[in-house]
Amino acid sequence: MLAYLIFALTIGGIYALLALSLNLIWGGIGLVNLGLVGFFALGAYASALLTGAGLPVLFGWGGAIVVGAIAGLVVTLATTRLRDDYLAIVTLGLAEVIRLVALNERWLTNGSDGISGIQAPMKSALGNQGFNLFYLALVSVIVLVVWLALRRLDRSPYGRAMKAIREDQELAGFAGKNVLGFKVQAFAVSAALAGLAGALYAHFQSYISPDHFQPLITIYIFLAVAAGGVGRPAGGVLGAYVVVFFLELTRFLPDLVPWLAPAQFAACREILVGLSLILVLRFRPQGLLPEQIVPAPKS
Amino acid sequence: MYFAQLAVNGLVQGLVISLAAMSITLVFGIVRFPNAATGDVMTVGAFSGLVVYPMTGSLLASGIFAVIVTAAVALISHLLVFRRLAGRSVVALLVASIGVGFVLRSIMGLVFGHQPMVFSMPLSRPYRIGGLAINPLDLQLALLAAVMLALAFAVLHLTPIGRQMRAVADNPSLARVSGIRSGRVLAALWVLAGAIAGAGGVMLGVKTVVNPEMGWDMLMPAFAAAIFGGIGSPAGALLAGLILGVVQEMSTPFVGFTYKIALSFAIMLVVLLRRPTGLLGRIEGVR
Repeated sequence: MLAYLIFALTIGGIYALLALSLNLIWGGIGLVNLGLVGFFALGAYASALLTGAGLPVLFGWGGAIVVGAIAGLVVTLATTRLRDDYLAIVTLGLAEVIRLVALNERWLTNGSDGISGIQAPMKSALGNQGFNLFYLALVSVIVLVVWLALRRLDRSPYGRAMKAIREDQELAGFAGKNVLGFKVQAFAVSAALAGLAGALYAHFQSYISPDHFQPLITIYIFLAVAAGGVGRPAGGVLGAYVVVFFLELTRFLPDLVPWLAPAQFAACREILVGLSLILVLRFRPQGLLPEQIVPAPKS
Repeated sequence: MYFAQLAVNGLVQGLVISLAAMSITLVFGIVRFPNAATGDVMTVGAFSGLVVYPMTGSLLASGIFAVIVTAAVALISHLLVFRRLAGRSVVALLVASIGVGFVLRSIMGLVFGHQPMVFSMPLSRPYRIGGLAINPLDLQLALLAAVMLALAFAVLHLTPIGRQMRAVADNPSLARVSGIRSGRVLAALWVLAGAIAGAGGVMLGVKTVVNPEMGWDMLMPAFAAAIFGGIGSPAGALLAGLILGVVQEMSTPFVGFTYKIALSFAIMLVVLLRRPTGLLGRIEGVR
């Protein structure tokens, strides 16, 4: 039971990073990344391949961050002149392409068999139980650091400029803000965070395959951010843990409803997730933890 | 000859993309958000057709039933979700559409399971026309699509509600001040968009296999065709879908079967970078 709790909390932390990544652009600048899971996968594969080639784990994580950021830059630069919803469509396509590459380029990704034996840092020294605890602590610390950094960002002039762009691009432009620059930077950082989350996931599971990166995860993260509160980093983190606990708790329920086949039960759960997303958007768009706009200090 | 054959096969595939893209472009042009539930509405259409087909054995009957079901589903999604979010950001509508699509996909998974199913069509000998083999089934499907397209264009161009739709697409505030009642126009739009997607879904289901993910997988080529054709332009979507279908089919000897979808992504990127208005559209620049 304890081992299970540790596992759930670690996955919760990884989802929290993804939620922070989405919240940075959705709550920050008013863009969305429909291909979040693609960037997540990109980071996972980048780190798995780099460490598989013999590099130390930290290099793999660094690589995942860089690859994620580059992919984010490519996507935003392709759609700079267009309305924001075009960017969302492009991210969706990119995720699809990443999935195809992971599935078909066997020489690189080993196709649908996936990559196994991904280095688990310190596992030999700590043992199984120790490693899980260590990894949970590590992921939690990273979530904490990223959360504090993004919260700080939110309250800085940079964060205020981002939210100004979210509310009214033209006005922000008139006020002399470099709208495009903010968008590109925010998206790159967000994509890098998703890449980092992927790397953490890969080294935690020590096995990844295209099956691990279903579009489902993107929906979970959208629900986490929407339910937690768009525009508030703490909201996304809270939402991510809530979603993971909902998912993990309902894992035990099929025993209670024997008349539903497990696959049907999973479908019911997905319907609930989708409905919650719609209901939150409709009835509580501000989420559990509404956004706080801290006024700029008087100078 | 081989390529001509591929092109003919591509046309049928292209019609499916065209229908999906038209549904997207109508909604995008008038309600102004990319409806990510379009693919899943197609899936609903495919399953509805699949339910009726064994009872009637008629493709036309399954098509009609599917179109009625998907028109109803689209209208309900408008009434319950999208209408209520009117006035919120594009992003909110887009995310809601993802939620709607996900719910539809899960319901299909719950009711029908994830085993791929097929329309069990009688095998028939292909017509030979000058060395080209043309499957009678493809002809029937193309006919079905043509009927749907003709209906859609007739509604858009020959009826008052269609004219009002185009007026709203062109300039929403001008349409409002000239007394167009947007509630009715929007309801009609969603019925039309749902019906078109449903027809595309049945076609796709007959051509390939029916499973809950089929429509979602169709979303990328459909968006690509909508953008390629020019957002808000049904004729552009039709043309772009046909081109994408043919290009995808004809490229298989070079890029292989698996990267067909990636090809539509690449075309979409090029269009966005070089000619964001698409073939027949107008630009939706940063406002």
